[in-house]
Amino acid sequence: MTRTLPDAEYAVLNTAHADEAQSIDHLAAATDRDPAAVRRAVFALEGEGLLAVEERVDVDVSLTDEGETYLAEGLPEVRLYEAALDAGAGEEPVNLGQLIGAAGLEGPEVDIALANFARKGYGHVDSGAVAAERGVDADADEEAAALAAVDAGDSVDDESVLDQLERRGLVDREETTVRLATLTDEGVTALMEGVEVAETVSQLTPEMLTSGEWRDVEFTEYNVEADAEHLDGGKKHILRQTANRVKDVLVGMGFKEMEGPHVDAQFWINDCLFMPQDHPARTHWDQFALENPGEIGDLPADLVERVKSAHLDGVGEDGDGYHSPWDEDVARGLDLRGHTTSLSMRFLSGYQQGDLEPPERYFSVEKVYRNDTLDPTHLLEFFQIEGWVMAEDLSVRDLMGTFTEFYEQFGITDLEFKPHYNPYTEPSFELFGTHPETGEIVEVGNSGIFRDEVLDPLGVEVDVMAWGLSLERLLMLMYGFEDIRDVHGTLCDLDLLRNVEVVH
Amino acid sequence: MPVVDVDPDELRDLTGHSEKDDDELKTDLFNLGLEFEGETEDGEFQLEFAPDRLDRLSVEGVARSLRYHYGDDRGVYVPSTNDPEWTIEVDEDVPEGRPFVTGAVVRGVNLDDDALDSLIQLQEKLHATMGRKRAKGAIGIHDLTMLKGEAATGDGHGSKSIRYTGVDPHGDRFVPLDSDEAMTPGDVLDKHPTGETYADLVRDLDRYPAIYDDIGLFSFPPVINGTRTEVSTDSRDLFIEMTGTDQWTIDHMCNIVCYALDARGATVERVQVEYPERDIYADSDRTAPGVTLDRPDFSVSSKTVTHDRIETLLGIDLDPEEVVDCAERAGLDATATEVDGDTAYEVGIPPYRVDVLHPLDVIDDVGRAYGFNRLEPRYPDVATVGGRHERSLLEDAARDTLVGLGFEDLLNFHMINAEENFERMRLAPDDDVLGATDPVTIREPYSEDYTMLRTWALPSLLMVLENNTHRAYPQDLAEIGFAAEVDESENTKVAERRSVAAVLARHDASYEDAKARLQSIARAFGADLETPRTDHPSFIPGRAAKVVLDGDSVGVIGELHPEVLVEHDLELPVAAFEFDLAGLE
Repeated sequence: MTRTLPDAEYAVLNTAHADEAQSIDHLAAATDRDPAAVRRAVFALEGEGLLAVEERVDVDVSLTDEGETYLAEGLPEVRLYEAALDAGAGEEPVNLGQLIGAAGLEGPEVDIALANFARKGYGHVDSGAVAAERGVDADADEEAAALAAVDAGDSVDDESVLDQLERRGLVDREETTVRLATLTDEGVTALMEGVEVAETVSQLTPEMLTSGEWRDVEFTEYNVEADAEHLDGGKKHILRQTANRVKDVLVGMGFKEMEGPHVDAQFWINDCLFMPQDHPARTHWDQFALENPGEIGDLPADLVERVKSAHLDGVGEDGDGYHSPWDEDVARGLDLRGHTTSLSMRFLSGYQQGDLEPPERYFSVEKVYRNDTLDPTHLLEFFQIEGWVMAEDLSVRDLMGTFTEFYEQFGITDLEFKPHYNPYTEPSFELFGTHPETGEIVEVGNSGIFRDEVLDPLGVEVDVMAWGLSLERLLMLMYGFEDIRDVHGTLCDLDLLRNVEVVH
Repeated sequence: MPVVDVDPDELRDLTGHSEKDDDELKTDLFNLGLEFEGETEDGEFQLEFAPDRLDRLSVEGVARSLRYHYGDDRGVYVPSTNDPEWTIEVDEDVPEGRPFVTGAVVRGVNLDDDALDSLIQLQEKLHATMGRKRAKGAIGIHDLTMLKGEAATGDGHGSKSIRYTGVDPHGDRFVPLDSDEAMTPGDVLDKHPTGETYADLVRDLDRYPAIYDDIGLFSFPPVINGTRTEVSTDSRDLFIEMTGTDQWTIDHMCNIVCYALDARGATVERVQVEYPERDIYADSDRTAPGVTLDRPDFSVSSKTVTHDRIETLLGIDLDPEEVVDCAERAGLDATATEVDGDTAYEVGIPPYRVDVLHPLDVIDDVGRAYGFNRLEPRYPDVATVGGRHERSLLEDAARDTLVGLGFEDLLNFHMINAEENFERMRLAPDDDVLGATDPVTIREPYSEDYTMLRTWALPSLLMVLENNTHRAYPQDLAEIGFAAEVDESENTKVAERRSVAAVLARHDASYEDAKARLQSIARAFGADLETPRTDHPSFIPGRAAKVVLDGDSVGVIGELHPEVLVEHDLELPVAAFEFDLAGLE
């Protein structure tokens, strides 16, 4: 009985062997067809029982740069062992310092050599003295042998040695999945009985549509369940998505967005915020001071006077100032802003875009800079969500109501307000909320009502309540990221960014 | 934030609440704002708190706060003091950089090991906080019995005195603590570990601060005391002196120490401070040339707070009795009075408080005593219109367009170093091309990776490509981000801009691929695009052009130079463009 098959399947069936498995790429080359079409044909033939398809995982092992170096120069621990023997450490321990040069060990190689020296039984290191075990055949080091084998393209039989080399970062193992097709008995029988090309078409063409030929053809059936090729579409960055979500919520709550300089005078960053110039926080926050340029051009002279007076003498009949020096030169110094409260100060003073008429609500979701240590939860630069409300007679209860509403939009409920201290707000509260996933109580922000010493110099005669938190912290809370460096910065992992779920 | 180590048994003793177990204590402390961070090896609580209540830097201060919290104490407490016997005479020669001094005599101290540890801890913590690492205020505590005072001159104040003066760095010798060798103050700075630590505080002075008694030099503030007057568990009477750059600061440090010793049953005896006729003493409202001060200053300061302000700030109605009750439970005194016909309170602030600058601070204390967690949140009845900033809307629209073209949107650091920003891109800072501008640089950067603000964004995208060579290609990446350069015409001396940068890393990437996408963006924003040929060191000669939008040259487009690619470990071509976002306005 003669079988009819679509063109591509016909070609593939005729090219496949019963006793030699061939990859889809190989079949595509042999039939001179598009691999995607061949792939569809292979799956279709598998569906008809004419081909058997198996998957093989190919492991390609290659040397890393470090692996290449050790192949050429010898493994550090082997070099150390040989140098140790030469120096007589087989008889009596020799000071490590003497061996480092002789073994040609540099930088981290010393630690690597020491870590592996003992593991391999080459001897031991005690209080900086190296004792070598005599009679170990360092030429037979199986990791060194494996390195050479990988380089030569030979296989390494002992998987554990390969695992060890991978852990040491000396080899890379890359896995690829290859689909292999073989003729089944049924396929062989079909070929023997005769196969011809069916009058089926795989692709509907423009010509068919204009000529009307589509009416007379049969369309090849696809394996509609098979996976298609992997596509990476573009996507807005997850932090940008989160920022936009925050912005949407705040705009909906009546907040306008602020915008202003990243490089700013300490005056706007610290002095307006009633941070005394010798306050440990001004160094403790470790803001980045600039080498070039060093100083701002102009500060509004009357505002400088009022801020200075607030620092030195306080505000109001009963007010006291700080007992700290205040120097305009310090205030003129330029920093990368350590918080976006500098923007709030510029806006509240009317300096940024004219006097404001209360009531007002303003926010920003912008970058700030802190001289911190880079680790999974801390970056040198991160986004701060900053917001404030300016109105007559605002109370602590209004503050609590506003922030309760905001955080509920992000699934953070049961907000708690823990009394806190900030130099620029009084009362001040740290905000704690229940983590939506883990149920832990976590800190989600810092808030308060600006002090008179902040508002009075700015010329603000009503109350202003404000709060801030880091956008990255919100992101980590909402999406459970563990290492913020994976998403923000040049160390980001493209795979993670491509595959992260979108915010909605 | 400051951390204080506190022995829970001592806390039980000093509060008189032996029935409290550790967990109850921790809860009570948490409610006061002292967070349990862990335990020391000796089982002491490590408590962290905000740096306003520096009077809690010792177990005695923490115990005092707890007693108010429990309601065991109410209102302001002022220890009674005995009349002065001792005088600190301040010499004309006292260094101008450290002219102020204060002090107290404390008698009948029972210094067991715990009490001595607590005193030393309080001294260290005060140095670290209020004392600004001893620059602003430094504490010296001496065994009084080891001091020999000559009769004070003149006016019949106390009968014994010590003298605060300046000493030639290589003049008199004394044996500093932790040493058995007599040294000059200059030697101490060079040879003694503590001297080395604090040398910068006095190095520039012509004469170093020094305190003498009848026998001779015994203290070299703010650096170190002498061994002669060292305090031990056998000491019963103490002489406390504090020197510094601000009288208010050292007076309050002294108050905090005296209150702590008073809590252990000691008696405070005042001392006189006699200042010379020097102009520097006219600049402080606490001193005057030739004035004699009576210290410690346990006077109770006061703030007037209106009832209305308390109610509006807390958002609740309160009876005057409730306000007075809350104030007293916070360790303040409050007396109802009238201001312009309205109810107000005269509030007394105890001499150990250093954080009450304004009536607002009193309201915060009242709120804490009332219990902020009792307040019911309410959404403020205030209507405002929200909206986005224009630049942020433009940035978002451009980002949407890039994403629509298939670019993965990235977010990189604004800080970078010169090597990444310039050299690895084949740029010299004085080339007249995009990216080669005067960078904003960080003073004394900790990290050599982040020493300046980037002048353009493509270097960041190249670094991402470099770190992701193991990920699937094509890699079409884009970023709309911040870049900056020094610009004298700006008030901040920095021109900040948002840059649109994109790379196409694929085995057949070409100029045309980049241009096609750039055209699409220009079209989306109705901008007229021209790409006249240019030379840019980062790009292949003959395959680079300026990006000109609506007649303004705003960027560059081209195929990246193979040297740039190889430098970034890339094994395939990359087409790229970057231009100023403002070009799309």
